[in-house]
Amino acid sequence: MKVVVVYKWARDPEDAAVRSDGSVDWRGARMTPGEDDHVAVTLGLALAAGSAGNAVGVTIGDGDATWGLARGVEQVVAVPDAPSLADNGATADLLAAVIRWVGQVDVAVIGDAEAYAGVPAALAGALGWPAMLGVSTATAVGGRVVATRRMGDREQVVSLALPAVLAVAAASAEKQVPGMKEVLAARKRPISAVPMADLGIQPRDRLQSRSTDVPEVGSAHIFDGSAASATGQLLATLREDGVL
Amino acid sequence: MSVQSWVLAADVRRLGGMVRALRGLGGGVTVGVVGPRSVVEAAAAAGADRVIWINVADDVPAEAYASALAATVSAAKPRVVLATTTPPDRALLGAAAAAVGAVVVPGVFGISLEGETVVVERTDLGGRVVETLQSGAPVAGLYIGEDTPFPGDVPPTPIERLENSRPADIRIEKTEPVIGARGGLRDAERVVAVGRGLKAKEDLALVEDLAETLGAEIGCSMPIADDFGWVPKERYIGRSGQHISPRLYVAIGISGAPQHLEGVRDAKVVVAINADPEARIFRRADYGIVGDLYEVIPALQAALGQVTVKDHA
Repeated sequence: MKVVVVYKWARDPEDAAVRSDGSVDWRGARMTPGEDDHVAVTLGLALAAGSAGNAVGVTIGDGDATWGLARGVEQVVAVPDAPSLADNGATADLLAAVIRWVGQVDVAVIGDAEAYAGVPAALAGALGWPAMLGVSTATAVGGRVVATRRMGDREQVVSLALPAVLAVAAASAEKQVPGMKEVLAARKRPISAVPMADLGIQPRDRLQSRSTDVPEVGSAHIFDGSAASATGQLLATLREDGVL
Repeated sequence: MSVQSWVLAADVRRLGGMVRALRGLGGGVTVGVVGPRSVVEAAAAAGADRVIWINVADDVPAEAYASALAATVSAAKPRVVLATTTPPDRALLGAAAAAVGAVVVPGVFGISLEGETVVVERTDLGGRVVETLQSGAPVAGLYIGEDTPFPGDVPPTPIERLENSRPADIRIEKTEPVIGARGGLRDAERVVAVGRGLKAKEDLALVEDLAETLGAEIGCSMPIADDFGWVPKERYIGRSGQHISPRLYVAIGISGAPQHLEGVRDAKVVVAINADPEARIFRRADYGIVGDLYEVIPALQAALGQVTVKDHA
């Protein structure tokens, strides 16, 4: 299988500052790998290895393109001049254009990022491929992918024909962060930097922000005073509510 | 030509809320259901103008019909399409958005029309900001807003079944309850969960005793299960862990990251105990105490000490 592993394709929402007047300052933050990206890389590499195929990394925007190379991806296509877009569909269109440019791809693996929850499905839509989201594991079996995913409190095993998009959700933080050796080796691996013009795309954001505001002050009713007093009031309230 | 909106659904969660949100646009509302008969019959009570149904075999997931449904949605030229954030619903929305040429917006809780412009309200940055956006293009939104009950006094919408929809080649091989998702935590009426505020593994005893007093199950946030391994992974509540819907959820020393809150989205009453008054959990919780858990838990125990908690039948 030819596997594309998509990583570093958005900014980290935690990097944005929200001022007290509700305005948002991204403070020049760059795109950064998402918390699911390490699982996307591991899973994508395993699919490639398990099918005697190969894996190509795809990454867009500013920020560190070598991140995937340091984790075992051997070649990467980067689109450094890709902008951050508010429209998840426009981001997906951009990623789809790169994947088509890579060509002959069987599976695209991407992190199922909470903050950009529309992107993986929109990517599948843009490619015209089926999507399987919330995936925790995936194995190459006879030209298909067998994946597991959580559906509420059940775990489902699905078998998909290819091509397809898999969006993977990390169950934990990255355990094995690459050491200096891997990082240095990564610098020797090839990155093909492709400008957007070469992909024939000119992304435009058809979604405009009008305003941002701080959400109404937290809805929790806070019980003040000493621990004894606060807990007493809390319990009385919970009994009134009928949950105790 | 009145505005057309659609809701795409593999089940009926938040369907009432989405239909209500779209009613505000003043045009026709259609619900596109991909699922078994039980789901579409429930959806027919949601008060939509039309219900379009693609039936699914037991071993085919809703995702397999995303493309087939998208073709029908696109032919209707909707201005707005909404779906929830569950994996199948998002897959349905993604295919439809591409077919319709829509912008795709997550975190949507409000939608309105100003002339030709769709105005969207959404939360962003992990809930730290609410944003108003606009687009002249069709809008596909992932809805996280309130759910509202179906209107009680309207006849069910007739169900129009789409025959001959060809699914993509995806099979469900098997479905199993999650290992360790003991009826315990999953079905518990009361859950006490602990997070990073806990300083040491031995201190879990404090939380366990409280849970026992309350007749509650124990849960935790990801770091407690994963990084520290103080609590078995099956008790991790969150996006890639347990999704529970207790009547009472007490979050102790839990900051309230979105991944965790997703696991208790349907909890009835949420109580937060945290030393940080700015902790995000206080935005989600119904009630809170700002304080040191090492003081508050003993105080709670003392206050509960006189009373035996009886389960409601």
